[in-house]
Amino acid sequence: MHRPCSIPSLTAIAAAVALVVSPLAHAASPAPTQKLEAKLDQMAQQLLEMRGELAQLKQENVQLKAQQQQQAQTSQQTAADQATLKSQVDATSQSVQTALAKPSPLDNLNIWGYGEMYYSRPTRQSENTRADLARGVFGIGYQFDDKTRFNSEFEIEHGVTSSSDPGEFEVEQFYVDHKFNDSLSGKAGLFLIPAGLINENHEPTNFYGVTRNFVETLIIPSTWREGGLSLSGDTKFGLGWSAGVTTGLDLSKWNFTPTSPLYTSALELQNNSVAPMQATHQEMALANAQKLSGFVSLNYRGVPGLTVGGSVFNGGTVKATPDMGSSQRVTLYEAHARYQPGPWDLSALYAHGSFSHTAEANASAAATAAANGQSLTNPMPASFYGWYLQAAYNAHVGGYRLAPFARYEKYNMAASYEGVGSGFSMPNGFAVPHDTVYTVGANFYLNQNVVFKVDYQRFKINRDFSRIDLGLGVTF
Amino acid sequence: MKRNAAHWTPLVTLAAAAGLTPAVVFGADYLSVAQAQKAMFPDATAFVAQPATLTDEQRKALSAQAGTRVNPALWNVFAAKSGDTLLGYVIADAVIGKFQLINYAVAFGPDGTIRDMEILSYREEHGGEVRTRAWRRQFEGKTGAAPLQLGEDIQGISGATMSCTHVTEGVRRLAVYVQTVLARK
Repeated sequence: MHRPCSIPSLTAIAAAVALVVSPLAHAASPAPTQKLEAKLDQMAQQLLEMRGELAQLKQENVQLKAQQQQQAQTSQQTAADQATLKSQVDATSQSVQTALAKPSPLDNLNIWGYGEMYYSRPTRQSENTRADLARGVFGIGYQFDDKTRFNSEFEIEHGVTSSSDPGEFEVEQFYVDHKFNDSLSGKAGLFLIPAGLINENHEPTNFYGVTRNFVETLIIPSTWREGGLSLSGDTKFGLGWSAGVTTGLDLSKWNFTPTSPLYTSALELQNNSVAPMQATHQEMALANAQKLSGFVSLNYRGVPGLTVGGSVFNGGTVKATPDMGSSQRVTLYEAHARYQPGPWDLSALYAHGSFSHTAEANASAAATAAANGQSLTNPMPASFYGWYLQAAYNAHVGGYRLAPFARYEKYNMAASYEGVGSGFSMPNGFAVPHDTVYTVGANFYLNQNVVFKVDYQRFKINRDFSRIDLGLGVTF
Repeated sequence: MKRNAAHWTPLVTLAAAAGLTPAVVFGADYLSVAQAQKAMFPDATAFVAQPATLTDEQRKALSAQAGTRVNPALWNVFAAKSGDTLLGYVIADAVIGKFQLINYAVAFGPDGTIRDMEILSYREEHGGEVRTRAWRRQFEGKTGAAPLQLGEDIQGISGATMSCTHVTEGVRRLAVYVQTVLARK
């Protein structure tokens, strides 16, 4: 390395200067000589000082060099550390990606389920108290690709299913869904009819009260599905629509001549398939599909928290008796609104259904009954309807959600009869097919998958149906 | 049967036409990340990738504050810049709706205020309404300090509770991250 200056060479220069200057000093007079000596001393002193400063500079220089080296080493180390870290991160992300990319048929498989248990105690007829594992449902889905998906749900009702037990094993849904684009998709198979607020979202965490409301059980059948094809889509301003062609009802399943009451409690009213459409829908169990039905449903959700919609279902049916000449149709329409501002959840629904040519059906059934020594105890209604208003408040209490609610509902499973004498009335002991029900209760959400429920329902006419219910619902 | 078909054909056609008309975007993705960036910050000249690296402690702190698990592995964080001026941030993320992945992106101002939220792709059967402007607008102007909770300051969509819950949770995580980590710098 080049030295900018060195102490020995400076000393040499200083000595040389002294040698050149000294003869001159001797030649001069004593007074100037003294002056010169003083000057020389001064210069020597200055030289010494310079030497000292130079030594200090040299030392600083060495220190600086050492520092520079150290810094270079540190930055090299940091770079090396970063490189190692980066390669480690790369390796990890690569192994994660490899693990993710590893093809497994299970990757496309989804399994889900839901279920509910009831404890239902009529306040005036406690002998009808029942505890029921109402339903256990398990779903299996398979994603074929980004656009095509298979969904199925299998349901076991009432705990045990056998020929001597009350349970049923049912296929609740079984369909293929294909997205044509972002706003249009199609379905083929057995799927839920988009009617009302509950039918398509019937998991126990999605409704208030232990059991589903009566309107969406007796007027709109509960978990109502048909086989067929449908198209559905949504628009940028929040209007969703769905339309399809499906199987329909078999009115020959209607029991015109029961000799004992078809139901004696609210739970039986819901479970025994006594309502007009509940008793006659076919659920694709070797469904008579000679006549087809169709539906259209619209829902506007363009304002956050608001759903306003309605649907119409209309179709030909298997006629009630083989003897009648006319063919029969069913029409069900409903309108609904749900508004959830903040913690509030307010909903209202109206549903109305009708069967055509029931005068002929009832006359034909009455004739057959008379020939067999029976009487028409349960004529087929020409129309039926129901509506409800419901309010719930979702309170968050220490990480849990508590939702007290109240509901006012009216159902009429036989709003009008045709072809029966005006003097017709239900036989003694048979419940009146219409009522007003007040319900108050609460859903307590342990988390968003588990709900405990309690409610009290008061029936205005069939007062023996009034009851206290407890429930547990699970969905995942 | 023929009579039935004739009975329904006009209605089905009408409904199909009503739905098809606005459906101009084909494919699984509604918007690409680049398109979303441009739409959210039209004045930006560059979007600089700014990978979110969190220490374990930071992640725990964020998880606690957001009330949900924070995992930045799926986050794509970009600083939107016009020359040297920082305009804000865009973060693209994905959450599971009920079964399917929902891709979305959120734009933040430099101070951590949500400017915009876009759904990049939505594959679930129900709840496509999360793409409506009205639903997304609920997030605008909020920060990580807001509840950003479904049923509180964000209203859900009936029939798509899972999708709404998970997107809202996702936005909350990002908002807390931007507010506590990025906007502080």
